[in-house]
Parts: sequence; C-alpha cells; structure tokens
Amino acid sequence: MKFPSEANLRRAIAFVAVLGIGVATYITIADSGGGSPTCLAGGTGCETVANSSYSHIAGVNVAVFGIVGYIALFLTAFFANDFGRFVGFAISLGGFGFSIYLTYLELFTIEAICQWCVSSAVLMTILFLLNTTRLIGYAGIDATSGPAEPPESEAGLA
Amino acid sequence: MSNKKEREKRREERLQEEAKAQSGDRRTKILQLGAGAVFLVIVAVVVLIVANSGGSSGGDAQNLKEVAAVDSLVNGVPQEGMTIGDPSAKVELMEYGDLQCPVCKAYSEEVLPQVIDNKVKSGKARITFHNFTIIGEQSQPAGAATLAAGEQGRGWNYLELFYRNQGEENSGYVTDEFMEAVAKAAGVKNIAQWNKERKSSAINNEVKATTAQAQRYGFTGTPSFAIKGPSSSGVELLGTPQTPEEFEEAIDKAS
Repeated sequence: MKFPSEANLRRAIAFVAVLGIGVATYITIADSGGGSPTCLAGGTGCETVANSSYSHIAGVNVAVFGIVGYIALFLTAFFANDFGRFVGFAISLGGFGFSIYLTYLELFTIEAICQWCVSSAVLMTILFLLNTTRLIGYAGIDATSGPAEPPESEAGLA
Repeated sequence: MSNKKEREKRREERLQEEAKAQSGDRRTKILQLGAGAVFLVIVAVVVLIVANSGGSSGGDAQNLKEVAAVDSLVNGVPQEGMTIGDPSAKVELMEYGDLQCPVCKAYSEEVLPQVIDNKVKSGKARITFHNFTIIGEQSQPAGAATLAAGEQGRGWNYLELFYRNQGEENSGYVTDEFMEAVAKAAGVKNIAQWNKERKSSAINNEVKATTAQAQRYGFTGTPSFAIKGPSSSGVELLGTPQTPEEFEEAIDKAS
C-alpha cells in the first residue's frame, strides 16, 4: 500500500484543524449570552441543538472542548515523530468517537440537525482518517526515513 | 588492514539490524496501543448511546415534585393570563421561553424567584410569559396547556410546576396524562374547560404568534427577555441576562 508522504499528511492535518478551530469558535461565540449559531439554510435546527441540555457539559459548551481538541491536533502536526503521530491519532480518535455520539443525539434524541455541528463532525472524521493513515504508515519510523511499506525517503514538514 | 575493515563493516551491519529491529518493536507497540485505544473508544461510545437510550428522565405524571415550592413562590401574587404581578405595575418584563427548554427551567429555579420576590411582589414590575417554541413538536401542546391554565388564573403555577418536573426534551413525556397531572397539581379548577381550551385554535395560534414575535425581535435562544416601562424607549430587548441582579437593574432603569 502506498501512503501519502508524511509531510503532506501533516500539512493536511494542520489545515483541517484550522478549519475546525474556526467552526468550533463560531459555535462558541454564537452560543454565548443565550444565543445560538445561525443555520445557513434557515430553519431552527441550530437553535434547537444549542438550547438542548446536551450542548453543555458541566456548564461548558461542548464546542469549547472542540476548540481545545482542534488546537491540540494542529500542534501535533508540528511533531514529526512517534509522539506527534500517536497523540494526534489518540485525540482525533476521541474526537471522532465523541462526534458519533453527538450526531446520534442530534438524530435520535434532540431530533434536530445543526449544520455547524455536522461540519465539525465531518472535519473531525477527516482528521481521524488522516491521523490513522499517518500512524499506520509512519509509526516507529524516524522522520527522515520513509513509510513502513514500501520504503521511500521522506523529509518532515518544511 | 582488510580484517579491520571487514570487522567494521560487520559491526555496522549488526548495528543497522539492531536499529531496524528496535524500530520494528516500537512500531508494533504503537500500533497495538492504537488498536487498544480504538477498542476503548468503541466501548465508550456504545455505553454512552445505550445509557442515553435507556428511558427518559423527568416528566413523571405519577410523581410530581416541588408542588409546595411553586405554591409558595406564586400564590398570593396576582395573576392574569400569563402575567404575574400587579397589573398596574409600571414595568413589564417579558419572557420568551419554551416549556421543554432546560435553560428556561434553570432560570425558573435559580434566577427568576429572586426577581419575583424583590420586584414583582413589591409591585414594581410584572412578568409576562410568552411561548417561543423552538425545542420540538411537543413544545406546542405544552405551551398551549400553559396558556389554557392562564385562562383560569393558574398560568404561572402551571409554568413553574411544568419546569420543575420537566423531562428530557422531545422524549415523549409531554403526554395528555402528564399535562393533566401538572394542571391538577397547579390548581386548575375546571379540567374539562382547560382540556377544551388547550386544544382550541385560538390558544394554539397564540403560541405560534408569540413564537413569530420572538423571531421578529431577533431572538435565537430561550429564554430571551424584553422589558417595557416608563423610562424605556418602547420595548427594549434584554437578550438573556445571566443573574437576578441584572434583571433588577433593568427593571430599575425602566421604572
């Protein structure tokens, strides 16, 4: 199996994480002071989700956890070693699992869909796939050497 | 000389093999750890979903809570329709809420009682509840049931009691049985009349009209508040003040 170069994977992770930081920050700001994000196509899905009891954990908006997660994922892209690979994988795995749970709540409990939450779930899914590819392709390999199979020389993120 | 070179070559090859073996070991350990993490996350998500789908909380018609607390909060205070307080009070605080909204419940329990004690009972302000149904389909019948209780002068008893026994949003707890139990505990005298009125088009249209009004004001969440008084320029939008003190300040300012 041919893996994309680790440098490209890291660039993609950093880029998608920045998008995630933007989406989660918007949700947090829109929710502050009792408001809610505005659904671009109209409808009240975003209001319903933002006003539900599931939008906060211990009084903290779940989007705040999203911001922290995306920032951490962004930072892991700068570590061209096993630490960066594994921590990036672990955070994106946790984020992906949490996104599945939140999407389940939207569909079956709150019965409303918020486009911004779905956007964040999609971004987190992409980050999970990128970090999984990075871990499988490059775990245990020095930054200056290539992916597990086939051997291919690769330098780190510029 | 050639022996020395050969030894060095063999040593280099051995070191390379050792490094490769170490790297392979590390890779195996990391991937095993990753697989373990995937397993743990799958278990956590399944547990969360199963725990969440296992029965809804609250909304128990057979076991209504805090009936006495609601009585002590609103009994003795004049009520007319969905307005609580002296009808001639100069300042009117308007709440736009959804009976299913957990934040509205928190306001009803933690923020508004102080405002009612300090500003409503003293005759300085009155509070009018308006429906702003955004949580789901069950918000409409819940809102209509509240207005119908208001027709019999028990609107705020109903509202406060509903909040204190609120279930999980859209979980199906807003049944005829639950709403009727709340009505009886709230002191609605004529249940047959209340049942008729809560299903009437006039009451249901009013729920929709105040929801539309809240949207025209630009409110996007519940509860949202507006105020009107001699010192305010018409209806002033307050949004969602966080503390009782902020409400009291707004009432003083509008007086």
